[in-house]
Amino acid sequence: MINLVRRNLLIYFRDKSTVFFSMLSVIITFGMYIFFLGDMYARSISTTADIRFLMDSWIMAGILGVTSVTTTLGAYGNMIVDEAQLKTKDFYSAPLKRRTIAGGYILSSFVIGLIMSVLAFVFAEIYIVLGGGELLPLTTVLKLLGLMLISVLSSSSFILLIASMLRTSSSFGVASTIIGTIIGFLCGIYIPIGSLPTEVQWVIKFFPPAHSVALYRNLMMEVPMQTFFAGVPSNYLDSFKTEMGLHYEIGAYTTDFAFSILVLVSSAVLFYSLGILLLSRKKKK
Amino acid sequence: MDKVIEVHGLKKSYGEVEAVRGIDFYVERGKLFAFLGPNGAGKSTTIDILSTLLQPDEGEVTITGHVLGKEDDRIRSSIGTVFQRSILDDELTVLENLYIRAKFYKKSKSDLKNSVEAAAEATGVTSFINRRYGKLSGGQRRRADIARALVHTPAIMFLDEPTTGLDPQTRKSVWETIQRLQKERGVTVFLTTHYMEEAAGADYVVIIDEGKIAAKGTPFELKETYSRDTIKIEPIDYECFTTQLQESQTIFKTSGGTITIELGRSLDAIPILEKYRDSIKSFEVVSGTMDDVFINITGKEIRE
Repeated sequence: MINLVRRNLLIYFRDKSTVFFSMLSVIITFGMYIFFLGDMYARSISTTADIRFLMDSWIMAGILGVTSVTTTLGAYGNMIVDEAQLKTKDFYSAPLKRRTIAGGYILSSFVIGLIMSVLAFVFAEIYIVLGGGELLPLTTVLKLLGLMLISVLSSSSFILLIASMLRTSSSFGVASTIIGTIIGFLCGIYIPIGSLPTEVQWVIKFFPPAHSVALYRNLMMEVPMQTFFAGVPSNYLDSFKTEMGLHYEIGAYTTDFAFSILVLVSSAVLFYSLGILLLSRKKKK
Repeated sequence: MDKVIEVHGLKKSYGEVEAVRGIDFYVERGKLFAFLGPNGAGKSTTIDILSTLLQPDEGEVTITGHVLGKEDDRIRSSIGTVFQRSILDDELTVLENLYIRAKFYKKSKSDLKNSVEAAAEATGVTSFINRRYGKLSGGQRRRADIARALVHTPAIMFLDEPTTGLDPQTRKSVWETIQRLQKERGVTVFLTTHYMEEAAGADYVVIIDEGKIAAKGTPFELKETYSRDTIKIEPIDYECFTTQLQESQTIFKTSGGTITIELGRSLDAIPILEKYRDSIKSFEVVSGTMDDVFINITGKEIRE
């Protein structure tokens, strides 16, 4: 399986366009943020200087969450292409177990998601520091890396489920475009969840990647929030958190760290099981 | 006689379409075996079944003594397949492609290196082994595909239309490589083709049409049975000559001023030539070809 993972990684990273397109939504989000969204958010909240560090951290947390979805999507694209070009025939005519082949794709998508998330995180920290913010404390970095594992696991399982239902390169292309377009909304990064209609808010609250975004925000915004909200009554902070999607309100319940982790882990278990089931049915002739 | 492949009563349908409708044949060890047929005759379906990719609806197949459907992994280790389409990875070099595939067969490290080198040498890919597969020419890709099929030194090599889509010169050199592998290394070669000259160069030919075996034999036997030698004559006076032929009740065909007469055997040309020697401007005796065999058996011309 390691051999196949190595192959899939080489193919993904050697094709610059795959890498670029799987980061496209992220690049667009980032571009929109620098050019106008950032200013808009900052002005709507406050005009003080500290806001930049806070908002930079907010958007970068969102970008990390989206990266885990779009890069694993790009990685599963290889699986669809291999099948459409009948490259899998070569694997099936060798003494390889089918589950080894499927496992190779799943594992490589996970590894690709992880590598790209780490790269995105490094980039995010550089951007935040250049903008006058501070580096994340080491303990938080370690927590964030742990969260990254769970976040990529959940996103990759979600994409596996989608990929297992598709057969052709063109249908996968359409799915990629749709996901790339709506992911920014579904994770509440283009527009903060508080400014969206209630129906859309409900979708976000049950969309697993939105929970990784919320968790990334809590970790990355901890320090700037302490500075920014120093001396401000805690109900202000709570309503800021609700408005900007650091936690979600489901009825009277407010989601916390443990709840979001639970959403991510259970969605991973559910989607992986469903995805593998669909994949094994697809292979039967 | 050592049979490496034995097929009995093989059937496969896709819904309503019966692709293979009960075929029997066997392949002898070390021979070059050709499966000849027009597009859609069931060639690729048969090769997919033999290379364990498709499950047959009916029939028994044994490959190197292993029963298909029961000992598939054993079979997979002893066969190498060159598919109609290129299946290696464009983004990787030939060497990387070969190494990754060689590892499918659980080899030790030194074994791995040796078998990749041997396969590369046998197919002549060494000179471009570090170039990306996607940048190669059609002929180079085909050689790399064949090297991949050889990477685990299989007893049998399946090739599905290995020379289709190549220019004539490349086709010839790929074909020579295949023949050399069979002659020098004793690899049993099972290939499908729709090129007559390739079928003519095989040890044994099975002609398949509409999912059934239409004829089988060595190219020589097939030509003996299904094709006739002919004599083509260009007469001095066309009108006069055809009248003469009609009077002697000889059956003939005409096309563009030449007259073609079918012969029982080549020697039958001599009495005809002697009889009409003064009316003949030029003549040619043509021996039967695989094309004639094919047309006579299936009633169709082979399509490219």
